[in-house]
Amino acid sequence: MSELRADNLHMRYGDLEVLRGVTFAVEPGEVKVIIGPSGSGKSTLLRCLALLEEPESGDVSLEGRRPQPGEIGMVFQRFNLFQNMTALENVMCGLVEVRRLSKRDAREQATEFLARVGIVDKAGQYPDELSGGQQQRVAIARALVMRPKAMLFDEPTSALDVELVREVLDVMESLAREGMTMVVVSHELRFAHHVASSVLMMDEGRIVEEAPPDEFFSAPKEERTKRFLSLVE
Amino acid sequence: MLAGFSTHIFWEALSSGPFWRGALLALELTIVSFVVAIVLGFFLAIGRSSKSRTVRGGVFFYTWIFRATPTLLQLLFVWDALPQIWGVFRQGWFTPFLAAAVALSLNEAAYMAEIVRAGLLSVDPGQELAGRALGMSRARILRRIIVPQAVRIVIPPMGNEFITLLKLTSLASVISVTELLTAAQNFYASTFSYAEAFAAAALYYLVIVSVLMAIQSRIEKKFTWTSRGRPRRETVPVPAISHDAR
Repeated sequence: MSELRADNLHMRYGDLEVLRGVTFAVEPGEVKVIIGPSGSGKSTLLRCLALLEEPESGDVSLEGRRPQPGEIGMVFQRFNLFQNMTALENVMCGLVEVRRLSKRDAREQATEFLARVGIVDKAGQYPDELSGGQQQRVAIARALVMRPKAMLFDEPTSALDVELVREVLDVMESLAREGMTMVVVSHELRFAHHVASSVLMMDEGRIVEEAPPDEFFSAPKEERTKRFLSLVE
Repeated sequence: MLAGFSTHIFWEALSSGPFWRGALLALELTIVSFVVAIVLGFFLAIGRSSKSRTVRGGVFFYTWIFRATPTLLQLLFVWDALPQIWGVFRQGWFTPFLAAAVALSLNEAAYMAEIVRAGLLSVDPGQELAGRALGMSRARILRRIIVPQAVRIVIPPMGNEFITLLKLTSLASVISVTELLTAAQNFYASTFSYAEAFAAAALYYLVIVSVLMAIQSRIEKKFTWTSRGRPRRETVPVPAISHDAR
Protein backbone atom coordinates (compact mmCIF):
# COMPACT_ATOMS: atom_id res chain seq x y z
CA MET A 1 0.00 0.00 0.00
CA SER A 2 1.16 3.50 -0.80
CA GLU A 3 2.43 5.63 1.99
CA LEU A 4 1.01 8.98 0.92
CA ARG A 5 -1.54 9.39 -1.86
CA ALA A 6 -3.51 12.10 -3.58
CA ASP A 7 -6.43 10.91 -5.68
CA ASN A 8 -7.87 13.07 -8.41
CA LEU A 9 -7.51 16.36 -6.54
CA HIS A 10 -9.41 19.35 -7.85
CA MET A 11 -9.03 22.81 -6.43
CA ARG A 12 -10.27 26.18 -7.51
CA TYR A 13 -9.76 29.73 -6.21
CA GLY A 14 -12.61 31.71 -7.65
CA ASP A 15 -12.33 31.36 -11.41
CA LEU A 16 -8.84 29.95 -11.27
CA GLU A 17 -8.53 26.18 -11.51
CA VAL A 18 -5.35 25.47 -9.59
CA LEU A 19 -5.53 21.68 -9.53
CA ARG A 20 -7.23 19.83 -12.37
CA GLY A 21 -7.23 16.23 -11.29
CA VAL A 22 -3.91 15.43 -9.68
CA THR A 23 -3.23 11.82 -8.80
CA PHE A 24 0.01 11.13 -7.11
CA ALA A 25 1.62 8.67 -4.70
CA VAL A 26 4.81 8.45 -2.69
CA GLU A 27 5.98 5.06 -1.47
CA PRO A 28 7.78 4.73 1.86
CA GLY A 29 11.32 6.05 1.61
CA GLU A 30 10.79 7.69 -1.76
CA VAL A 31 11.77 11.28 -2.47
CA LYS A 32 9.69 13.02 -5.10
CA VAL A 33 10.75 16.39 -6.40
CA ILE A 34 8.15 18.55 -8.10
CA ILE A 35 9.15 21.29 -10.51
CA GLY A 36 7.08 23.61 -12.63
CA PRO A 37 6.37 27.27 -13.31
CA SER A 38 4.76 29.46 -10.68
CA GLY A 39 1.00 29.08 -10.63
CA SER A 40 1.23 25.48 -11.80
CA GLY A 41 -0.34 24.23 -8.56
CA LYS A 42 2.77 22.78 -6.86
CA SER A 43 2.29 24.62 -3.58
CA THR A 44 -1.43 23.98 -3.56
CA LEU A 45 -0.79 20.28 -4.02
CA LEU A 46 1.56 20.30 -1.02
CA ARG A 47 -0.93 22.22 1.07
CA CYS A 48 -3.61 19.72 0.24
CA LEU A 49 -1.28 16.87 1.21
CA ALA A 50 -0.53 18.64 4.50
CA LEU A 51 -4.29 19.10 5.06
CA LEU A 52 -3.78 22.85 5.20
CA GLU A 53 -6.31 23.18 2.41
CA GLU A 54 -9.36 21.14 1.70
CA PRO A 55 -9.52 20.18 -1.98
CA GLU A 56 -12.79 20.74 -3.79
CA SER A 57 -12.88 17.09 -4.68
CA GLY A 58 -10.53 14.15 -4.39
CA ASP A 59 -8.85 12.50 -1.44
CA VAL A 60 -5.62 12.61 0.46
CA SER A 61 -4.68 9.47 2.31
CA LEU A 62 -1.83 8.07 4.34
CA GLU A 63 -1.60 4.29 4.50
CA GLY A 64 -5.14 4.17 3.23
CA ARG A 65 -6.67 6.47 5.85
CA ARG A 66 -6.91 10.16 6.58
CA PRO A 67 -3.67 11.53 8.08
CA GLN A 68 -3.67 12.55 11.75
CA PRO A 69 -2.44 15.96 12.91
CA GLY A 70 1.36 16.06 12.93
CA GLU A 71 1.74 12.90 10.86
CA ILE A 72 2.78 14.87 7.81
CA GLY A 73 5.51 17.42 8.39
CA MET A 74 5.56 20.65 6.41
CA VAL A 75 8.45 23.02 5.78
CA PHE A 76 7.61 26.41 4.30
CA GLN A 77 9.44 28.67 1.92
CA ARG A 78 9.50 31.48 4.47
CA PHE A 79 10.28 29.20 7.44
CA ASN A 80 7.32 30.51 9.47
CA LEU A 81 9.05 29.97 12.79
CA PHE A 82 6.99 31.22 15.69
CA GLN A 83 8.46 34.66 16.28
CA ASN A 84 7.61 34.73 19.97
CA MET A 85 9.50 31.54 20.76
CA THR A 86 13.16 30.59 20.86
CA ALA A 87 14.51 27.93 18.48
CA LEU A 88 14.11 25.34 21.24
CA GLU A 89 10.56 26.46 22.10
CA ASN A 90 9.63 26.30 18.42
CA VAL A 91 10.68 22.67 18.29
CA MET A 92 9.02 21.90 21.64
CA CYS A 93 5.75 23.54 20.64
CA GLY A 94 4.14 20.63 18.78
CA LEU A 95 5.16 18.14 21.46
CA VAL A 96 3.70 20.26 24.25
CA GLU A 97 0.61 21.66 22.53
CA VAL A 98 -0.39 18.72 20.34
CA ARG A 99 1.21 15.61 21.83
CA ARG A 100 0.72 16.91 25.39
CA LEU A 101 4.21 15.91 26.52
CA SER A 102 5.64 17.40 29.70
CA LYS A 103 7.94 20.38 29.20
CA ARG A 104 10.87 18.29 30.41
CA ASP A 105 10.38 15.45 27.95
CA ALA A 106 9.65 17.90 25.16
CA ARG A 107 12.82 19.85 25.90
CA GLU A 108 14.88 16.67 25.82
CA GLN A 109 13.51 15.54 22.47
CA ALA A 110 13.63 19.02 20.98
CA THR A 111 17.28 19.39 21.94
CA GLU A 112 18.04 16.06 20.31
CA PHE A 113 16.42 17.18 17.05
CA LEU A 114 18.12 20.56 17.10
CA ALA A 115 21.37 18.63 17.38
CA ARG A 116 20.37 16.53 14.37
CA VAL A 117 20.06 19.64 12.20
CA GLY A 118 23.32 20.92 13.68
CA ILE A 119 21.97 23.95 15.46
CA VAL A 120 21.79 23.02 19.12
CA ASP A 121 24.07 25.92 20.04
CA LYS A 122 21.36 28.34 18.90
CA ALA A 123 18.63 26.80 21.04
CA GLY A 124 18.07 29.94 23.09
CA GLN A 125 17.98 32.34 20.15
CA TYR A 126 14.82 33.87 18.72
CA PRO A 127 14.09 33.54 14.98
CA ASP A 128 14.97 37.20 14.47
CA GLU A 129 18.50 36.47 15.57
CA LEU A 130 19.08 33.53 13.22
CA SER A 131 20.14 33.49 9.58
CA GLY A 132 17.67 32.20 7.02
CA GLY A 133 19.52 28.91 6.76
CA GLN A 134 19.49 28.44 10.51
CA GLN A 135 15.81 29.31 10.68
CA GLN A 136 14.98 26.78 8.01
CA ARG A 137 16.92 24.08 9.83
CA VAL A 138 15.01 24.85 13.02
CA ALA A 139 11.80 24.64 10.99
CA ILE A 140 12.85 21.20 9.73
CA ALA A 141 13.58 20.08 13.31
CA ARG A 142 10.18 21.42 14.41
CA ALA A 143 8.46 19.21 11.84
CA LEU A 144 10.73 16.17 12.41
CA VAL A 145 10.28 16.09 16.17
CA MET A 146 6.65 15.10 15.60
CA ARG A 147 8.00 11.88 13.97
CA PRO A 148 6.04 12.41 10.76
CA LYS A 149 5.47 9.58 8.31
CA ALA A 150 6.26 11.95 5.45
CA MET A 151 7.85 15.37 5.06
CA LEU A 152 6.74 18.03 2.61
CA PHE A 153 9.03 20.87 1.56
CA ASP A 154 7.59 23.91 -0.21
CA GLU A 155 10.51 25.63 -1.97
CA PRO A 156 12.60 25.33 1.19
CA THR A 157 15.63 27.16 -0.20
CA SER A 158 14.18 29.82 -2.47
CA ALA A 159 13.99 32.47 0.24
CA LEU A 160 17.62 31.90 1.21
CA ASP A 161 20.80 33.74 0.31
CA VAL A 162 22.83 31.64 -2.10
CA GLU A 163 25.53 30.77 0.42
CA LEU A 164 22.96 29.43 2.90
CA VAL A 165 21.23 27.03 0.51
CA ARG A 166 23.80 24.26 0.98
CA GLU A 167 23.31 23.83 4.74
CA VAL A 168 19.59 23.28 4.26
CA LEU A 169 20.02 20.91 1.33
CA ASP A 170 22.58 18.92 3.36
CA VAL A 171 20.02 18.38 6.12
CA MET A 172 17.44 17.31 3.54
CA GLU A 173 19.87 14.93 1.87
CA SER A 174 20.76 13.19 5.08
CA LEU A 175 17.06 12.94 5.87
CA ALA A 176 16.51 11.26 2.51
CA ARG A 177 19.39 8.85 3.14
CA GLU A 178 17.80 7.87 6.45
CA GLY A 179 14.76 6.77 4.48
CA MET A 180 12.32 9.61 5.13
CA THR A 181 9.44 9.78 2.69
CA MET A 182 9.65 13.23 1.12
CA VAL A 183 7.86 15.46 -1.36
CA VAL A 184 9.91 18.48 -2.33
CA VAL A 185 8.85 21.41 -4.44
CA SER A 186 12.14 22.91 -5.52
CA HIS A 187 14.12 24.16 -8.47
CA GLU A 188 17.40 22.91 -7.04
CA LEU A 189 17.95 20.63 -10.01
CA ARG A 190 21.22 19.23 -8.73
CA PHE A 191 19.49 18.18 -5.54
CA ALA A 192 16.71 16.61 -7.61
CA HIS A 193 19.24 14.76 -9.76
CA HIS A 194 21.16 13.56 -6.76
CA VAL A 195 18.45 12.66 -4.27
CA ALA A 196 15.10 12.21 -5.98
CA SER A 197 13.53 8.83 -6.68
CA SER A 198 11.55 10.56 -9.35
CA VAL A 199 10.97 14.04 -10.65
CA LEU A 200 7.58 15.44 -11.57
CA MET A 201 6.74 18.29 -13.87
CA MET A 202 3.59 20.24 -13.08
CA ASP A 203 1.88 22.73 -15.33
CA GLU A 204 -1.57 24.34 -15.22
CA GLY A 205 -2.80 22.17 -12.38
CA ARG A 206 -1.72 18.85 -13.86
CA ILE A 207 1.23 16.53 -13.55
CA VAL A 208 2.55 16.47 -17.11
CA GLU A 209 5.46 14.12 -16.65
CA GLU A 210 7.01 11.90 -14.03
CA ALA A 211 10.26 10.00 -14.45
CA PRO A 212 13.42 8.94 -12.59
CA PRO A 213 15.86 11.89 -12.52
CA ASP A 214 18.31 10.47 -15.11
CA GLU A 215 15.58 9.98 -17.62
CA PHE A 216 13.74 13.15 -16.66
CA PHE A 217 16.71 15.43 -17.18
CA SER A 218 18.46 13.74 -20.09
CA ALA A 219 15.48 12.61 -22.13
CA PRO A 220 12.26 14.37 -21.12
CA LYS A 221 9.31 13.16 -23.19
CA GLU A 222 7.00 16.12 -22.96
CA GLU A 223 7.50 19.30 -24.93
CA ARG A 224 6.43 21.34 -21.86
CA THR A 225 9.15 19.75 -19.71
CA LYS A 226 11.84 20.37 -22.34
CA ARG A 227 10.86 24.00 -22.62
CA PHE A 228 10.83 24.49 -18.86
CA LEU A 229 14.18 22.74 -18.32
CA SER A 230 15.81 24.81 -21.02
CA LEU A 231 14.73 27.95 -19.18
CA VAL A 232 15.77 26.80 -15.71
CA GLU A 233 19.15 25.28 -16.47
CA MET B 1 6.37 84.65 42.36
CA LEU B 2 2.97 84.33 40.75
CA ALA B 3 0.69 86.94 42.15
CA GLY B 4 -2.46 85.33 43.43
CA PHE B 5 -1.17 81.76 43.24
CA SER B 6 -0.53 80.42 46.68
CA THR B 7 2.00 77.62 46.83
CA HIS B 8 0.81 76.94 50.30
CA ILE B 9 -2.79 76.36 49.22
CA PHE B 10 -1.54 74.31 46.28
CA TRP B 11 0.33 71.97 48.66
CA GLU B 12 -2.64 71.85 50.92
CA ALA B 13 -4.83 70.71 48.04
CA LEU B 14 -2.25 68.29 46.74
CA SER B 15 -1.78 66.54 50.06
CA SER B 16 -5.44 66.56 51.08
CA GLY B 17 -7.36 63.31 51.47
CA PRO B 18 -10.03 64.07 48.83
CA PHE B 19 -7.41 64.64 46.10
CA TRP B 20 -5.48 61.55 46.99
CA ARG B 21 -8.64 59.45 47.12
CA GLY B 22 -9.93 61.11 43.96
CA ALA B 23 -6.77 60.15 42.11
CA LEU B 24 -7.04 56.61 43.38
CA LEU B 25 -10.67 56.42 42.32
CA ALA B 26 -9.87 57.77 38.85
CA LEU B 27 -7.13 55.16 38.52
CA GLU B 28 -9.42 52.37 39.71
CA LEU B 29 -12.14 53.43 37.31
CA THR B 30 -9.61 53.54 34.48
CA ILE B 31 -8.16 50.12 35.23
CA VAL B 32 -11.56 48.44 35.62
CA SER B 33 -12.91 49.96 32.40
CA PHE B 34 -9.67 49.24 30.55
CA VAL B 35 -9.63 45.55 31.47
CA VAL B 36 -13.32 45.03 30.72
CA ALA B 37 -12.92 46.91 27.42
CA ILE B 38 -10.02 44.69 26.34
CA VAL B 39 -11.99 41.51 27.01
CA LEU B 40 -15.10 42.87 25.33
CA GLY B 41 -13.05 44.36 22.49
CA PHE B 42 -11.39 40.98 21.90
CA PHE B 43 -14.74 39.29 21.37
CA LEU B 44 -15.97 42.16 19.21
CA ALA B 45 -12.80 41.84 17.11
CA ILE B 46 -13.32 38.10 16.70
CA GLY B 47 -17.00 38.74 15.93
CA ARG B 48 -16.13 41.16 13.18
CA SER B 49 -14.59 38.37 11.14
CA SER B 50 -17.34 35.88 12.03
CA LYS B 51 -18.95 33.79 9.33
CA SER B 52 -22.41 34.74 10.59
CA ARG B 53 -23.87 37.91 9.11
CA THR B 54 -25.93 38.48 12.24
CA VAL B 55 -22.82 38.51 14.44
CA ARG B 56 -20.99 40.84 12.05
CA GLY B 57 -24.03 43.10 11.91
CA GLY B 58 -24.29 43.13 15.69
CA VAL B 59 -20.66 44.14 16.07
CA PHE B 60 -21.08 46.88 13.47
CA PHE B 61 -24.17 48.20 15.27
CA TYR B 62 -22.43 48.19 18.63
CA THR B 63 -19.38 50.03 17.32
CA TRP B 64 -21.56 52.51 15.47
CA ILE B 65 -23.65 53.36 18.54
CA PHE B 66 -20.72 53.83 20.88
CA ARG B 67 -18.48 55.73 18.51
CA ALA B 68 -21.12 58.04 17.08
CA THR B 69 -22.54 59.33 20.37
CA PRO B 70 -20.77 61.47 22.98
CA THR B 71 -19.23 59.64 25.92
CA LEU B 72 -20.86 62.11 28.31
CA LEU B 73 -24.26 61.25 26.88
CA GLN B 74 -23.56 57.52 27.32
CA LEU B 75 -22.50 58.11 30.90
CA LEU B 76 -25.63 60.08 31.71
CA PHE B 77 -27.75 57.50 29.92
CA VAL B 78 -26.38 54.66 32.02
CA TRP B 79 -26.74 56.58 35.27
CA ASP B 80 -30.08 58.35 34.72
CA ALA B 81 -31.95 56.57 31.93
CA LEU B 82 -31.25 52.92 32.76
CA PRO B 83 -32.92 53.16 36.21
CA GLN B 84 -35.91 54.82 34.53
CA ILE B 85 -36.27 51.92 32.09
CA TRP B 86 -35.43 48.99 34.38
CA GLY B 87 -36.28 48.81 38.04
CA VAL B 88 -33.25 46.68 38.90
CA PHE B 89 -31.00 49.68 38.36
CA ARG B 90 -32.96 51.69 40.93
CA GLN B 91 -31.46 49.76 43.80
CA GLY B 92 -28.53 50.55 46.07
CA TRP B 93 -26.01 48.29 44.34
CA PHE B 94 -26.04 50.50 41.24
CA THR B 95 -23.54 53.08 42.46
CA PRO B 96 -22.20 56.05 40.48
CA PHE B 97 -18.84 54.28 40.27
CA LEU B 98 -20.43 51.18 38.80
CA ALA B 99 -22.46 53.25 36.34
CA ALA B 100 -19.33 55.09 35.25
CA ALA B 101 -17.42 51.81 34.90
CA VAL B 102 -20.21 50.31 32.77
CA ALA B 103 -20.44 53.35 30.50
CA LEU B 104 -16.70 53.76 30.06
CA SER B 105 -16.14 50.02 29.49
CA LEU B 106 -18.83 49.79 26.84
CA ASN B 107 -17.58 52.94 25.17
CA GLU B 108 -13.93 51.95 25.25
CA ALA B 109 -14.64 48.43 23.97
CA ALA B 110 -15.81 49.91 20.67
CA TYR B 111 -12.39 51.50 20.17
CA MET B 112 -10.50 48.57 21.63
CA ALA B 113 -12.13 46.22 19.11
CA GLU B 114 -10.43 48.09 16.25
CA ILE B 115 -7.04 47.95 17.95
CA VAL B 116 -7.32 44.25 18.78
CA ARG B 117 -8.42 43.50 15.25
CA ALA B 118 -5.53 45.41 13.75
CA GLY B 119 -3.19 43.58 16.12
CA LEU B 120 -4.49 40.13 15.17
CA LEU B 121 -4.35 40.96 11.47
CA SER B 122 -0.79 42.25 11.78
CA VAL B 123 0.51 38.77 12.62
CA ASP B 124 1.91 37.02 9.54
CA PRO B 125 -0.62 34.42 8.30
CA GLY B 126 2.32 32.04 7.93
CA GLN B 127 2.37 31.75 11.72
CA GLU B 128 -1.11 30.27 11.80
CA LEU B 129 -0.29 28.02 8.86
CA ALA B 130 2.76 26.63 10.66
CA GLY B 131 0.66 26.01 13.77
CA ARG B 132 -1.94 24.15 11.75
CA ALA B 133 0.74 22.09 10.02
CA LEU B 134 1.81 20.90 13.49
CA GLY B 135 -1.78 19.91 14.18
CA MET B 136 -2.54 22.66 16.71
CA SER B 137 -6.15 23.64 17.29
CA ARG B 138 -7.33 27.14 16.35
CA ALA B 139 -7.76 28.11 19.99
CA ARG B 140 -4.22 27.03 20.85
CA ILE B 141 -2.77 28.82 17.84
CA LEU B 142 -4.57 31.96 18.93
CA ARG B 143 -3.43 31.67 22.54
CA ARG B 144 0.17 30.55 22.09
CA ILE B 145 1.17 32.17 18.83
CA ILE B 146 -1.10 34.91 17.51
CA VAL B 147 -2.14 36.75 20.66
CA PRO B 148 1.39 37.02 22.13
CA GLN B 149 2.62 38.47 18.85
CA ALA B 150 -0.36 40.80 18.50
CA VAL B 151 0.30 42.15 22.00
CA ARG B 152 3.57 43.63 20.81
CA ILE B 153 1.70 45.58 18.16
CA VAL B 154 -1.18 46.75 20.30
CA ILE B 155 0.77 48.00 23.32
CA PRO B 156 1.39 51.54 21.99
CA PRO B 157 -2.19 52.22 20.84
CA MET B 158 -3.55 50.61 24.01
CA GLY B 159 -1.31 52.86 26.07
CA ASN B 160 -2.94 55.79 24.30
CA GLU B 161 -6.36 54.39 25.10
CA PHE B 162 -5.44 54.05 28.76
CA ILE B 163 -4.50 57.72 28.89
CA THR B 164 -7.68 58.72 27.07
CA LEU B 165 -9.70 56.63 29.48
CA LEU B 166 -7.99 58.17 32.49
CA LYS B 167 -8.94 61.61 31.23
CA LEU B 168 -12.47 60.50 30.43
CA THR B 169 -12.96 59.50 34.07
CA SER B 170 -13.22 63.24 34.78
CA LEU B 171 -16.61 63.10 33.04
CA ALA B 172 -17.80 60.91 35.89
CA SER B 173 -17.74 64.01 38.09
CA VAL B 174 -21.15 64.89 36.59
CA ILE B 175 -22.69 61.76 38.10
CA SER B 176 -21.12 62.46 41.49
CA VAL B 177 -18.23 60.03 41.35
CA THR B 178 -15.75 61.65 43.71
CA GLU B 179 -12.79 61.45 41.37
CA LEU B 180 -10.08 64.07 40.88
CA LEU B 181 -12.13 66.76 39.18
CA THR B 182 -14.83 66.48 41.83
CA ALA B 183 -12.12 66.83 44.48
CA ALA B 184 -10.93 70.00 42.78
CA GLN B 185 -14.45 71.38 42.47
CA ASN B 186 -15.19 70.67 46.13
CA PHE B 187 -11.92 72.33 47.05
CA TYR B 188 -12.52 75.60 45.23
CA ALA B 189 -16.19 75.67 46.18
CA SER B 190 -15.16 76.50 49.74
CA THR B 191 -11.86 78.33 49.15
CA PHE B 192 -12.32 79.94 45.69
CA SER B 193 -8.73 78.85 44.95
CA TYR B 194 -9.41 77.72 41.39
CA ALA B 195 -5.81 77.84 40.19
CA GLU B 196 -4.41 75.81 43.07
CA ALA B 197 -7.21 73.23 42.90
CA PHE B 198 -6.88 72.65 39.14
CA ALA B 199 -3.08 72.64 39.32
CA ALA B 200 -3.16 69.99 42.02
CA ALA B 201 -5.58 67.83 40.02
CA ALA B 202 -3.49 68.31 36.88
CA LEU B 203 -0.34 67.22 38.71
CA TYR B 204 -2.04 63.98 39.76
CA TYR B 205 -3.00 63.24 36.15
CA LEU B 206 0.54 64.02 35.03
CA VAL B 207 2.05 61.70 37.60
CA ILE B 208 -0.31 58.82 36.77
CA VAL B 209 0.33 59.17 33.02
CA SER B 210 4.10 59.35 33.53
CA VAL B 211 4.12 56.21 35.64
CA LEU B 212 1.97 54.52 33.02
CA MET B 213 4.40 55.45 30.25
CA ALA B 214 7.27 53.93 32.21
CA ILE B 215 5.28 50.72 32.73
CA GLN B 216 4.38 50.66 29.04
CA SER B 217 8.00 50.77 27.90
CA ARG B 218 8.79 47.91 30.29
CA ILE B 219 5.97 45.79 28.87
CA GLU B 220 7.13 46.60 25.34
CA LYS B 221 10.58 45.26 26.17
CA LYS B 222 9.09 42.11 27.61
CA PHE B 223 7.29 41.43 24.35
CA THR B 224 10.35 42.02 22.22
CA TRP B 225 11.74 38.62 21.43
CA THR B 226 15.48 38.72 21.57
CA SER B 227 17.70 36.68 23.85
CA ARG B 228 20.04 39.59 24.44
CA GLY B 229 18.84 42.76 26.09
CA ARG B 230 19.29 44.97 23.05
CA PRO B 231 16.19 46.51 21.55
CA ARG B 232 15.15 44.87 18.34
CA ARG B 233 14.60 46.93 15.25
CA GLU B 234 11.36 48.74 15.65
CA THR B 235 8.42 46.77 14.33
CA VAL B 236 6.09 49.46 13.16
CA PRO B 237 2.44 48.46 12.94
CA VAL B 238 1.82 49.08 9.30
CA PRO B 239 -1.73 49.63 8.12
CA ALA B 240 -2.70 47.00 5.57
CA ILE B 241 -3.09 49.50 2.77
CA SER B 242 0.57 50.45 2.65
CA HIS B 243 1.46 46.86 1.81
CA ASP B 244 -0.16 47.31 -1.56
CA ALA B 245 0.88 50.86 -2.27
CA ARG B 246 4.50 50.72 -3.27
